[in-house]
Amino acid sequence: MNMNSAIKLDGSASASVDHQASKSVGFRLQVNEFAWVWIGTAVLFAISAIVAPGTVTKGALLAMLPFAGILAIVATGMTVVIQQRGLDMSVPGMVSLAGIVVAEVGFATGSFLIAIVATLAMAVVVGIINGLLTARVNITPLIATLAVNALLIGGVRAITGNSPVAVPESIQAFAKQNLLGMPSSLWLAVLFVVIVALITKRSIIGRRFVAVGVNPRTATAAGIMTLRYQVGAYVLSAICFALGGILLAGYIGNASHTAGNDYLLPAIAAVVIGGTPFTGGKGSVVASGVAALFMAQLAQLVLALGAGPAMQLLVQSLAILLAVTIRVLPSLMSGK
Amino acid sequence: MHSSILLKVDGVTKLFPGVRALDNVTFEVRAGEVHALVGENGAGKSTLMGVASGALSADEGSVAICGEQVLGDPETARDLGLAIVRQEPALMPDLSVSENLYLGVPPRCRPPMNQCRQWALKLLKRWSDDVAVDPGDRVNTLNPEQRFIVEIVKALAADPKVLVLDEPTEHLLPEDVERLFERIKQVTERGSAVVYISHRIREVQQVADRLTVLRDGQGQGTYDASSMDEHRIVELIVGGELDREFPAKAINTDSEPTVLEVKSLRGPGFSNVDMHVRRGEIVGLAGIDANGQREFMRALAGILHSSGSITINGRKATNATPAKATSSGIRYLPGDRHREGIMAELSVRENFSLRSLFKDLSAGLTSRRSETQRAQQAVNQFAVKTPSVETPIGSLSGGNQQKLVLSSVLAGDPQVLLVDEPTQGVDIGTRMEIYRTLRQAASRGVAVIVVSSDQQEIAGLCDRVMIFSRGHVVKELQGKDVVESKITSAVLTATSTRERASEGTSKFWKWTAGDIAPILMLAIAIIALGAYTGSVNEYYFTERNLAGVLPLVATLALVAFGQQILMLVGGIDLSVGPLMGLVLVLQSFFLIEGAPPETQTLGWAIVLGVVVCVGLLNWFLVDPLKMHPMVATLVTFMALQAVSLQLRPIPGGLFSDGVLESLDSSVGIVPLTLAAAVILALLLEFGLFRSRWGLSFRGLGSRPEAARVAGIKPRLTRLSAYVGCSLFAGLAAIPMMAQVGSGDPNSGTSYTLTSIAAVVIGGASLFGGRGSFVGALLGALLITQVNVVTSFLGVTDAWQSYLLGGMILASVALYSKSRQMAVAK
Repeated sequence: MNMNSAIKLDGSASASVDHQASKSVGFRLQVNEFAWVWIGTAVLFAISAIVAPGTVTKGALLAMLPFAGILAIVATGMTVVIQQRGLDMSVPGMVSLAGIVVAEVGFATGSFLIAIVATLAMAVVVGIINGLLTARVNITPLIATLAVNALLIGGVRAITGNSPVAVPESIQAFAKQNLLGMPSSLWLAVLFVVIVALITKRSIIGRRFVAVGVNPRTATAAGIMTLRYQVGAYVLSAICFALGGILLAGYIGNASHTAGNDYLLPAIAAVVIGGTPFTGGKGSVVASGVAALFMAQLAQLVLALGAGPAMQLLVQSLAILLAVTIRVLPSLMSGK
Repeated sequence: MHSSILLKVDGVTKLFPGVRALDNVTFEVRAGEVHALVGENGAGKSTLMGVASGALSADEGSVAICGEQVLGDPETARDLGLAIVRQEPALMPDLSVSENLYLGVPPRCRPPMNQCRQWALKLLKRWSDDVAVDPGDRVNTLNPEQRFIVEIVKALAADPKVLVLDEPTEHLLPEDVERLFERIKQVTERGSAVVYISHRIREVQQVADRLTVLRDGQGQGTYDASSMDEHRIVELIVGGELDREFPAKAINTDSEPTVLEVKSLRGPGFSNVDMHVRRGEIVGLAGIDANGQREFMRALAGILHSSGSITINGRKATNATPAKATSSGIRYLPGDRHREGIMAELSVRENFSLRSLFKDLSAGLTSRRSETQRAQQAVNQFAVKTPSVETPIGSLSGGNQQKLVLSSVLAGDPQVLLVDEPTQGVDIGTRMEIYRTLRQAASRGVAVIVVSSDQQEIAGLCDRVMIFSRGHVVKELQGKDVVESKITSAVLTATSTRERASEGTSKFWKWTAGDIAPILMLAIAIIALGAYTGSVNEYYFTERNLAGVLPLVATLALVAFGQQILMLVGGIDLSVGPLMGLVLVLQSFFLIEGAPPETQTLGWAIVLGVVVCVGLLNWFLVDPLKMHPMVATLVTFMALQAVSLQLRPIPGGLFSDGVLESLDSSVGIVPLTLAAAVILALLLEFGLFRSRWGLSFRGLGSRPEAARVAGIKPRLTRLSAYVGCSLFAGLAAIPMMAQVGSGDPNSGTSYTLTSIAAVVIGGASLFGGRGSFVGALLGALLITQVNVVTSFLGVTDAWQSYLLGGMILASVALYSKSRQMAVAK
């Protein structure tokens, strides 16, 4: 099909129209960009059911889903930042610190609500700092958030003295409760992903947000306050990370100073597997969410097959490689 | 009538997405002549020279220089004797003037590396005795005129057979124009040829022997310059368009109410501008480029900051920000369509609705149906040629893009419509439609203001014209006076020359943006921190402590060098940490107690092979597979970690005492490994600034396209950067063996981020083009020191993190600020 239009392009008078035709083919493939992960996840569960039926029993799924939910929430935040051509490396610090702060404030005030609100408020402040450092002070996102992460880790070390802290019962109960037979973190993740997806796809704020991600200068000339959206992305990501941290601490029952370390790379991996490109603008939080589920199930499957952490990592890295190549292959094949 | 052909362009066609930029163009340039290439903006002149110089490859046809074919390879064209002076100088901004000159000439014209400075100075002096450019200046600190002079000097230094000048007088001061014309004469007297691209007809008549006219990508023939008068040339340039039909102008608007009233608006580039627009009027702003008209328009749109009063339909309006200007009813159609008008990857629908999303709201959410409907309507009404409203706008032709953006701006219901270059890069038929649309908007009561560099367009479209000069409105033309000749003469009499740009950059910022500043500041920080810690705790400067700390510096420094090499070309490698771990794991099978020498040698050979392969793999993922460096090296990060864990699930395999002892040897208190790292830093630093590879790396990272044109091979350079990075990571693992003692699979991972931090603190730019190995060494020293001092200062180890984060932010914020300040505006 591509070749066909390329031939036409050479000989025809109206070059531009033909060019559009070939582009529309490309466009259809791009729509599929975010669909691959659904296919991949379906295939993964099918394979799981065949080779390791133990991983798709109710009990196994209920054990896996909370972590999938937490990763989905963290990946949602990462997606939003990457859509703004950014990157948020403060995942480890934010996830760990949120768990610790919610625990400490929870014990100090005895109030579940105050603890959550205080933690999220802290996340907002961190997000604003990240956003201003990148969008205003013009520090590369990787470096700015890496530095902020170091500061957050400093906070974690100062509060905990490098040992885990206990988490109040109320927060544990919240994180561990099941609703309609599903873990609450999964519900939260679905809710989060759907709301963020709805906002980006269907609200004016979200549409402008996408515009700023695709081309900030066009957005400015169209009368959009670019800075607000750029900073907003980091605020949202910090909130996501904090929420992930709260759920993780609640679910495990204590807040560890290293809890967040295991979420940075998987979150980036989920975004990549989901299909959100690093070039800005386009993106899908739903795809990232599904990718989080994919990765959690993949981990279960590999474990069930008796392979250790080494094999886990290898399979994950191959999954990323596959996810990326499957999407660039068409354009590489057509020689672009 | 001597006529050997130096440049022959034969039937060249060049396609860009959506446009046929060149259509079967043929022309020849003879030895000893000045051959002018004339045409409007967007006629294809620069594209044609891009093809001739090998920077672009033609879709059809051929180009021959001195009888030899050029096939889309800039180096061949250059070696055959073609030198080009581009409108947008092809210079690498992070390199110095002399380095740019060095890379810019063919290898046979290059001086020995160590005489580069004097050579460059001589060339600059040959241009002008009082040239204000120093060979050591970084190009991004030069102003546009100076940069252009460097570009010309570079082209002349190559002793070209064919010298191409693309709009050379746009950026030059009058005395430099004189110098240029003198040089042109010298070049042609030598028997070489000059191709002179310009849209200034008088200038062309002054210098050219023959001329070729281009219109909309098609050649209109070659003529003797002396046989043509100005009128005839213009006719050829614009085609049948000389009497292009503009929509009828508004009649007698004096009694109409005022829509827009601007009082004493001042901002960057203009001051005290008063103006008004009456109902039904289109007002044009004219002037030589950069005299404030465009800045005034952008300030009205809220993009540039300004002060003054604006009233729209009797109501006070504010333009403090783009959003406020928009909600006051001011809408802006940008002149730079690609950068500011469209979102290329998004669909026609999304591009259309961006400026009027509020119209699609139902129940708080945007309705896809309403959006599609409105977009479809606009496409029909403005006859935008597109397969569907879901087609990405980037694939449409320029004219169709422009119509769509205009329709989008109009859909926002403007009260004031600001239009910058309404028809740039737009074909003739579409131009008429755009004029009609603007006229209709005006008659509906929208105040329309137009900036255009095409004076014919201003004359035909506008009811009133305000002439800008040096930021002031110096003249206003209306009624019968709005004709091209009067506008042109008003513009030209207002300012006939360019002003010399002021020396903008302060000494302080220039210094902090330099290469020495980060090194000096780091050294001071290291000494201050050390001295303070030493004064608080006497055990800090003991041999025992230093012997423990200094080897750590060597490890971090070596891996940082690798990261630095890659960052020079704009890459990044997350896999260095796990690679270091893998080297340790591998060696823990070979360098063990009792292993015979051949086993040990085998170990080293395997490690070397693995390290090179990892570099190749990273390159392969990034370059041919086009993966984002972060993603690609994340894949290798995980894979390497997996291999290490597979080989050694838990740490094991103690290194033999012999190996550890030789690694522990030292000269005085300085460990041998650190001494090696310091020597390597100095060698690399020397190579970075004094060798061809250093220039290639920095040049490629600074501006890939300019580097490619200068003959640097992007693929090969990137390949060696990735392999080099891995090699240094492997090297860093050697001192680490002594620190870890056995094959620990997790021992390396933390070095990934720390190495990035060390390089960045050392002054490297993540975008490539600049960095320093000595800086990376000092960055490694400072980070290691920070990790140690907390225990000597008696503060909690949280301070390690605070100090690390704070240091990164402080240093990078300073570098970023200073580099912004040092860049000439």
